[in-house]
Amino acid sequence: MKYEHELTRGRIKHRRAVEIVAKIAMIGSTTLVVGSLLAIIGAIIWKSLPALKLSMITQSPKGGYYLGKEGGILNAIVGSLYLGLGATALALVFSLPVVLYLNLYTKKKSRFAGLTRFAFDVLWGIPSIVYGAFGFVLMMAVGLRASLLAGIITVALLELPIMSRAIDEVMVLVPRELKEASFALGATRLETAFKVVVRQCMPGILTAVLIAFGRGIGDAASVLFTAGFTDRIPTSLFQPAATLPLAIFFQLGTPFPEVQQRAYASAAVLTLLILLISIASRLLIRKLTKHVIK
Amino acid sequence: MKKLISAIACFWIIALAASPIPGAAAADISGNLTLSGAWALYPMALKWVEEFQKINPGVKIDVQAGGAGKGIADALAGMVDIGMVSRNVQPAELEKGAFPVAVTKDAVIPTLSVRNPLLKDLLARGLKKDEFAGVWITKTVTSWDGLLGRTGKAEIHVYTRSDACGAAETWAAYMGKHQEDLTGIGVYGDPGLADAVKRDPLGIGFNNVNFAYDAKTLKPVEGIVICPIDINGNGKVDPEESVYGTRDDITGAIARNVYPSPPARDLYFVTKGKPQNPVLVEFLKWVLTEGQKYVPETGYIPLSAEKLAEGLSAIGAGPAKK
Amino acid sequence: MRLFKDQAAGKLMFLLALFPSFLVLAIIFGLFQKSRAILAIRSVGRLLFSSGWHPLKGEFGLLPFITGTLWVTFVALVIAIPISLFTAIYLSEYAPRYVRDLAKPIIDLLAGLPSVVFGVWGIMVIVPFVGNVLAPLFGVYSSGYSILAGGIVLAIMIFPTIIHVSLEVFASIPFALRETSLSLGATQWETVHHVVLRKGAQGVMAASILGLSRAFGETMAVLMVVGNVPMVPKSLFSPGYPLPALIANNYGEMMSVPLYDSALMLAALVLLIVVLAASVFGRWILIKAEKRAE
Repeated sequence: MKYEHELTRGRIKHRRAVEIVAKIAMIGSTTLVVGSLLAIIGAIIWKSLPALKLSMITQSPKGGYYLGKEGGILNAIVGSLYLGLGATALALVFSLPVVLYLNLYTKKKSRFAGLTRFAFDVLWGIPSIVYGAFGFVLMMAVGLRASLLAGIITVALLELPIMSRAIDEVMVLVPRELKEASFALGATRLETAFKVVVRQCMPGILTAVLIAFGRGIGDAASVLFTAGFTDRIPTSLFQPAATLPLAIFFQLGTPFPEVQQRAYASAAVLTLLILLISIASRLLIRKLTKHVIK
Repeated sequence: MKKLISAIACFWIIALAASPIPGAAAADISGNLTLSGAWALYPMALKWVEEFQKINPGVKIDVQAGGAGKGIADALAGMVDIGMVSRNVQPAELEKGAFPVAVTKDAVIPTLSVRNPLLKDLLARGLKKDEFAGVWITKTVTSWDGLLGRTGKAEIHVYTRSDACGAAETWAAYMGKHQEDLTGIGVYGDPGLADAVKRDPLGIGFNNVNFAYDAKTLKPVEGIVICPIDINGNGKVDPEESVYGTRDDITGAIARNVYPSPPARDLYFVTKGKPQNPVLVEFLKWVLTEGQKYVPETGYIPLSAEKLAEGLSAIGAGPAKK
Repeated sequence: MRLFKDQAAGKLMFLLALFPSFLVLAIIFGLFQKSRAILAIRSVGRLLFSSGWHPLKGEFGLLPFITGTLWVTFVALVIAIPISLFTAIYLSEYAPRYVRDLAKPIIDLLAGLPSVVFGVWGIMVIVPFVGNVLAPLFGVYSSGYSILAGGIVLAIMIFPTIIHVSLEVFASIPFALRETSLSLGATQWETVHHVVLRKGAQGVMAASILGLSRAFGETMAVLMVVGNVPMVPKSLFSPGYPLPALIANNYGEMMSVPLYDSALMLAALVLLIVVLAASVFGRWILIKAEKRAE
């Protein structure tokens, strides 16, 4: 072993020094990361203070809201929730079976699996504006107007690779013995999929859904051309829907400082929403982790 | 109730006076309309939509901003009923079926930072059109000191709009060019530009009137000063050229044609082809007639009577205007 | 019957699994179709390598945007990878339990923030920082709207991605390996260096490539701070104009200028090809690393 030669004091001092430098680098980095988040959240809250009123989240915009009059962003909150839940559900329907297929039905070195995973990689990297553009082209081809449905489809496309990759990462970690035990007991692949693997991966799947949901609900470029915008809460899939990121965007774009402050408040609301869902799902994970075998 | 009756009465009078369309009772119209497009038109459109919906509760109208480019793209794609466009419609767009109706007027005005070290002299002198071109297009005017004929190295920091927008296109049109010919740091959105100039003492930029002036105080937004245009080119800002004190000053100047056009410009509602939807036609007619009374209080400039009549006949019984 | 269900489900899942690859092809095809108009009249070389961007004159040189994208992404990675790695190592190897439990949710929250918020914060904090603090330090003038600003904002956005995956990679390394190293007299840092990082190198690389893909695709936040000047950047402090920003800024004009929509679609296609190339590269490295580990 190399270290047998390093018993001289100089070497030990050197190793200690390296250790200290490394520690500084690490603590510094962590502080930078955590600090930048706190700085961003702090800035949002500080700039939004004057506009933080209960009416922000309980009312839709009344006439002239973007010119400084009363109202709130309830339209965007509900619109985003409809959009996010719809898109995430749609993405889940497409991604869970596919990832299960890749992990249970294909062979170990299957080229098809490799190809599909590669496709997911590529889709993962496509900018959301390209999805927005693609969605717009689809809408024009089908004759669909800017609506909740168009937004849901586009955001589902955006979320698909994110969710699939996240689920795949957890599912790959399922020990082979577990699957083999299930097969040995006579279960089909389908049954193994839903009764064993999904149960085992539940926390991971939920985390994946959460990550995808967060990304989908927070993205502006994909909904800009597809979901439209309205001051009302949509009552049908074919009506335009307001979304929080666009609401933030439009409020920032008005010349009225009070409305710009509301933009920050809207950003705070969006962040809070994601945080609440994150906490709620962590609790849910704890409940459903009963069946996970460590 | 009284308002409804008087609104109906107005409609009848105007309908009879303007064009021979069989007028449906205004209170009966219902339907949905969507608008999207230029930030410049956004406040005015919102006001019109609000008032129109008050008179016609059966009509639901949704307004979305997103820029003039989005407005025309959405209108031509059939995604919205009306695209709000803050510049002249291009030939390529007309070929695709764009049907523009001028609805009001506003202007783009050049801006400086209140912290500019040479502010007093600049305000006394103003800039001429070719000097603006030197700043934004040909880059021959690069320092504040140079402009004033002094020694010193205060560079001019030029800002423009990164997003394809009516304001930049109109500002460039003033110098005979297009938005793509404007050099400078591209900032997103009108408020973004104002912000950038606010924070940079050596900055120069431009804004829509409604974004440069505070809507409540009617004075220029804090941190911004309007850069006077030396219209007659005599090297100083004459009293007739000093029209930037309050928003009313500048809108008055634009209405009297003292302020040049461009950068003052007509703002358009663009539909795809001549509007057929009766609700749409009603709304447009209202905008060109009743709606005009809301224009000055919202900070815009009313169109001349001829232009309004032109618009009315274009959407009325007359042949489609190209 | 159960076997039938299994087979049927398998066939259905297979069909669904074709979807991602199909989607990638559909997007590539769609973009290519729309780019053909401009490819027909300008050579690919001229489009990719000339730097004049004057659409109204028919000049569509994409070089400034390609270089802008590469620069911004490179800066972001150079900043993000070391900091994320150090943070992940700290949290995984050194930090006391409570710090880790506190930091992880905060970092995940960073991942959930909408990009508009990053953009706005970037304008508030990073742009003045670059313009008034960093640039004078180097004796250069910068308005602050620069490649560096874009890179910093982007780096903060991809911290959570790289940290998250790295943490999982480190967690999967058996504790016994670390114990062995420590019992042989290595310092903690040396353990990290020679054991954890060695074993985790492949995963860390995967994390970095994920970060890279995310960086390529991010549109809104970078657009707001990067300066949007269509020229090849001369230095970190000059403004830049990455490809996604080009598409986002001008998407609405597509209908208006002849060939503009075709050029923008070509830009999107180029972006997609870059993402594809990065994904291929990533997969290749991973496969090589796996082979070496066997």
